[in-house]
Amino acid sequence: MLWRKMVRDVLESKAAYLACLVVISIGLMVYTSLNLTADNLWQAKENFYREYGFPDGFATVKGIPEAEIRRLAALPGIDQLEGRIVQDVRVIFPGREESTFLRLVTVGTGQGKTMSKVKLLAGLPLDPHQPGIWVDPQFLAANELKIGEEIPVIVGGRKVFLEIRGQAQSPEFVYPMRNAQDLFPDPRSFGIAYLPLPVMRSLAGEGAQINQLIFQLKPGFSYQDVESWLEPRLERFGLLALYPAKDQVSNFILNQELSSTEATANTMPLLFLAVGAVILYILLKRIIEQQRGQIGTLRSFGYSSREVQAHYLSYPLIIGLAGGLLGSLSGLWLSFPMTAMYQAFFHLPGLQGNFSLDYVLLALLLSVGFALLAGYFGSRQAMLLSPAEAMRPPAPPSGRHISLERWHWFWRSLTVQGKMATRNLFRHRQRSFFTFVGITFCFSMIAVTGYFNNIISVMIFDQMTKVQTHDIKITFAAPLSATGTRRELLKLPGIKRVETLLEAPATLKHGWRERETVIIGLGRDAELFNLLGEDGRRVLLPERGLILSSQLAEALGAKEGTIITLESALLRGDSISLPVYTIIPQYMGINAYMDKEALSRVLGQGELATSALLVAEEKALPLITEKYREASQVATMENRSQLLENFNEMMATYGFTIWILAVFAFITGFAVIYSFSIVALAERKRELASLRVLGMTPGEVLQILTFEQWLLALAAMLAGIPLTLQLISLMAQAMGSDLFTLPLIFEPNSFVIAAVGTACFILLAQWTLLRQIRRFSLVEALKERD
Amino acid sequence: MEVILTGRKLSKSYQLGEVRVQALRDVDIQIYQGELVVVLGPSGSGKSTLLNMLGGMDKVSSGELFYRQQPLHAMDEKGLTRYRREAVGFIFQFYNLMPNLTAWENVHLATEIAAKPLSAKDVLIDVGLGERLEHFPAQLSGGEQQRVAVARAVAKNPEFLLCDEPTGALDFETGIQVLKLLRKFSREQKRTVVLITHNAGIADMADRVLYMRDGRLDRIRSNENPLAPEEVSW
Repeated sequence: MLWRKMVRDVLESKAAYLACLVVISIGLMVYTSLNLTADNLWQAKENFYREYGFPDGFATVKGIPEAEIRRLAALPGIDQLEGRIVQDVRVIFPGREESTFLRLVTVGTGQGKTMSKVKLLAGLPLDPHQPGIWVDPQFLAANELKIGEEIPVIVGGRKVFLEIRGQAQSPEFVYPMRNAQDLFPDPRSFGIAYLPLPVMRSLAGEGAQINQLIFQLKPGFSYQDVESWLEPRLERFGLLALYPAKDQVSNFILNQELSSTEATANTMPLLFLAVGAVILYILLKRIIEQQRGQIGTLRSFGYSSREVQAHYLSYPLIIGLAGGLLGSLSGLWLSFPMTAMYQAFFHLPGLQGNFSLDYVLLALLLSVGFALLAGYFGSRQAMLLSPAEAMRPPAPPSGRHISLERWHWFWRSLTVQGKMATRNLFRHRQRSFFTFVGITFCFSMIAVTGYFNNIISVMIFDQMTKVQTHDIKITFAAPLSATGTRRELLKLPGIKRVETLLEAPATLKHGWRERETVIIGLGRDAELFNLLGEDGRRVLLPERGLILSSQLAEALGAKEGTIITLESALLRGDSISLPVYTIIPQYMGINAYMDKEALSRVLGQGELATSALLVAEEKALPLITEKYREASQVATMENRSQLLENFNEMMATYGFTIWILAVFAFITGFAVIYSFSIVALAERKRELASLRVLGMTPGEVLQILTFEQWLLALAAMLAGIPLTLQLISLMAQAMGSDLFTLPLIFEPNSFVIAAVGTACFILLAQWTLLRQIRRFSLVEALKERD
Repeated sequence: MEVILTGRKLSKSYQLGEVRVQALRDVDIQIYQGELVVVLGPSGSGKSTLLNMLGGMDKVSSGELFYRQQPLHAMDEKGLTRYRREAVGFIFQFYNLMPNLTAWENVHLATEIAAKPLSAKDVLIDVGLGERLEHFPAQLSGGEQQRVAVARAVAKNPEFLLCDEPTGALDFETGIQVLKLLRKFSREQKRTVVLITHNAGIADMADRVLYMRDGRLDRIRSNENPLAPEEVSW
């Protein structure tokens, strides 16, 4: 019978319980779907890495003879070591403006190979005597290519046609990015191709040397051991980079995605569950106060306090169960499209949605646990009442003067409604506190959402419109003479401005800290690549010294004036020391900047250019692209509008996530305020009805409740500002990486949006209240005694 | 006649908000098997408190209270719950029905936990509500609601009934109907009924009348010839 009572009670306040149910469901949907997706991702990664032998370490060199490789393979700690040629080549698609690249990676074709195998998904084996390649399926799909077709590429300055013999996937290129400056892979303009070493040699010329080593460790050896043995031996072959598996770009990003997914999966739901639990707690406390008489009656005819408490625990239990079931099952369902979405980003052959009830059960346990906890604390106090006490109406809540009344000017300025409301705030401290926390929470969530929305535009548009203002960037295959190149490019029709850059890979060291980066040498009169300081103004390059991006400065622990040691394979001598001139905020990439001439002097190789930035009339742009597309000196050509478009496309996926967050924030905020308002109304029905009897209009009565809410909301929003900043900085730390950082900018806009949003659902909640007050039956409300 | 409840020097005080209330002072009382007792007194005289003590709703502050040989004053919450479950049937002035359970469900709620309950439906038919089983309290008149409350108390098949102003919220006619039901229970089943009221008219139907004032038992009057409920008036 008590079950029926519970079900009918719940149905009576269905809106409030529904709000709570929705909040819990959202939390568990996030929990289940993200955890399942992360598991799917992890499982697919582990299987693929294990079966296809992901290497433990990588070394990039200028060139190394094969005999040397055999010697290195015999080093202690090394289980397997293999050399290969890795080279990016341009693909020529007739009629296409944007540059397209394939990364050619040589692979062994022999049997018994266990490291970095390539999984052939479709097609024929590679033939060491035929210029055929395997290509990653995403590149094929994005460019509408089929097995059997030929791709025209420029290798070693010649245009050759490579036959696509199959489509294949390697664990090393699960997330194929051309360089660390790119934010996202773009399968249309970049792909991976695998080919036998002899074929590569015949294409690139016999002089082509092995330029990358991959190795796996023997059990019991650490990467650090092997690194210290390898590094000195590789130096004379022009060691450019030596890094462990965890720093390999594709693997790094995959792992980062995994850990951030897991972190979100295990923190965000707790937030929602906590909100749901607080709502349940308040609702239950209210219903128990309201049903004091019923509790007394139940006790009077022999229900024990345990049975009565069990009855009241059944309310949160049913909400917890329903929320848990709804949330976890929808999460289970959602994990399939989410996993499918990841398939588009991470090319793991075994990646698929899996039907698993583990998280459904865990989610149920979690939600029931949270609900019962809320229920226990919500019902505890009432259960301590003796039945006779429960039968008596509760003693009137203590009516005392509050400390705020000492501020006479404030207190006198309040209307009677205002005074009632203010005293009430302090009388129901607990609920005021939870309302305060609830409003703070949803205010901050909306503000964070607004911040991300704004910040993405800030990041992209700052970078694109203020920092890099060129139309085309041409990167040369090898350094060229700066003056000559500039003169050559200026002859182009429609050209407006040409600036050359000198980019030098280098290791910067400060004390024990070091960082691999690219030093970008700019002209002192550069206009197409601007360095902006904190205040958004241009920073002028010093004659001597480095400008560091803030990210890099932090990694090195460097400040203005710190002396940095610079090492580079391009350097004539061993190393040189330079002071840090200043530090600039940079959201994308970690770079160091120098005056181009100073950098040339340091490198001691004359005045060189590694790339050029161009501004030209719009109609001249296609012509320029056309002219240089097949030039052998040109390695890559980046069209800026195309880049901007890619950015926007990719950010749209972020935008989607952000909007989901915003919707969650709205629902949660509304649920909290709405359910608390309903509770406040029900609790003070008599009091408010009495005021109506005295002659107040529904609007005037509503004022008492709303005054309370607005007062709380104001305080909550103010408290929400520092909380938002704290959240943003936490999220910025969690989401930021070497590739990009989230700038911590105070964005007043976000707070305005958040305040308006919060006010919106407070108003919405109050509107439902007003409707209820209008419907008050005065006689009923006054007569009611339960 | 067999004594079922014996109280010696019963006292009770409790805290209500910021006030301490001395509700019962040194009350000596005996209740016999099968009698209909009316406790009479103005409001605040301690009758409800006495009823709560007798019904095991609350513990005495001092004194001794026995149900047959069982010391209620020494029982823990568990024991008192069992006592209320098995021995007592309560009827309240404001019926105290569960507003969202039907008449039948309200009665059934009580029989679910009783040891030897009567059929909820039979008892409701008995109190004249056979046609109203599926009605919610809000769909019933005050008299009907109180009859559901009587049915709820009786259906548990308790040793005795404790009634707190059972006619207090009813008009005269319906009040008489409820009193008839109580009298019927007392006479036909030979069970004890303790009824508290401030309505002196009702006292005429009692076997004994206990007068209360200021938390004390003022005097006791025995009625040689109690009136039938139809004959009382107020």
